[in-house]
Amino acid sequence: MRELAILVVIGLGTYLMRASFLVTAGTDPPRALARVLPHLGPAVLAALVVPSLAAPRGHVSVAETVPSLVAALACWLLWRRTARLPLALFGGLGVWWLCLGAVSVVGGGAP
Amino acid sequence: MTITGHLPRRSVAEPSALTQGVRGGLSVVLAYVPFGTALGAALAHTGVSALTAWSSSPLLFGGAAQLVAVQLLAAGAPAGVVVAAAMVVNARLLLYSASLAPHARGWPRRWRWLGAYLLVDPVYALAVGRFSRSDDDGDPARRLRFYLGAGATMWVGWLAITGLGVLVGGLLPAALPLQLAAPLTFLVLLLPMLTGRAAAAAAVVGGLVALAASGLPLGLGLLCGAAAGVGAGVLAGGRDA
Repeated sequence: MRELAILVVIGLGTYLMRASFLVTAGTDPPRALARVLPHLGPAVLAALVVPSLAAPRGHVSVAETVPSLVAALACWLLWRRTARLPLALFGGLGVWWLCLGAVSVVGGGAP
Repeated sequence: MTITGHLPRRSVAEPSALTQGVRGGLSVVLAYVPFGTALGAALAHTGVSALTAWSSSPLLFGGAAQLVAVQLLAAGAPAGVVVAAAMVVNARLLLYSASLAPHARGWPRRWRWLGAYLLVDPVYALAVGRFSRSDDDGDPARRLRFYLGAGATMWVGWLAITGLGVLVGGLLPAALPLQLAAPLTFLVLLLPMLTGRAAAAAAVVGGLVALAASGLPLGLGLLCGAAAGVGAGVLAGGRDA
């Protein structure tokens, strides 16, 4: 019950952020907030992406980190070339599986 | 049989705005299958009851915050920390709201309230991409139908995919791990945002600080990275100005 209550609070807070400017369409954000807003997306998403790519399964190592970086590069290239989201994501995931398989073969089957 | 004459070619050949929105949404739902399935599987194995964890899909409707919130709940983090971390992750929605507002000025207020609930990264990207096109006629009703078509499709799809992940995520073959689906999805959301020096500075500093601080407990590494990234972006933006 505690967990559900916390999720409801987050949901309400998130909804207020979503509605903030959309519902009052016509009002501009305060200047101080307007300076910060453009940087929130890149900062937060990169803070989520970089640690997860460096340690996709919880620890940093050549066998774990290199395949995920190669997959990220493939995903980025596919997205830039085609602008097709499904192709970029499935392609990146496929490259990761291939690299993991190759690492496993080279490393004699050790994960 | 009656002869109605020539129909305008555009009305026959071009699908309605609602249909176009639904099609755009379906493409995104397809792309989100690996991430949604992986998230659903993670939600089912956190120690929080599966139904409560899945309820984060309709309550939060945003995978990144759902993942952070449920992982922190499972780790026993205090309520304030869980709420703060999830709100920081979702703070980018303020930007989306401010950016979409000028396109929504002609929408009835009640539809803007509903539209706000559906505002999430891919729906925002689809909508702003469509509304900024040179062939968009700016008609508010058509824009609203496109937005609702894309948003409702994403909402239904997201609830279904994460629900499926909760139910069958544990049955996925070990040879096909999905842990990278989430970061790859966030990466594809991040790339279009890197439009200048300030955005690049925010991303590089945010990512590196979060990595350096990833050993900190309770999602504090994410908060440190986000704060440092925003600070770097503001500084770089100030120098550019």
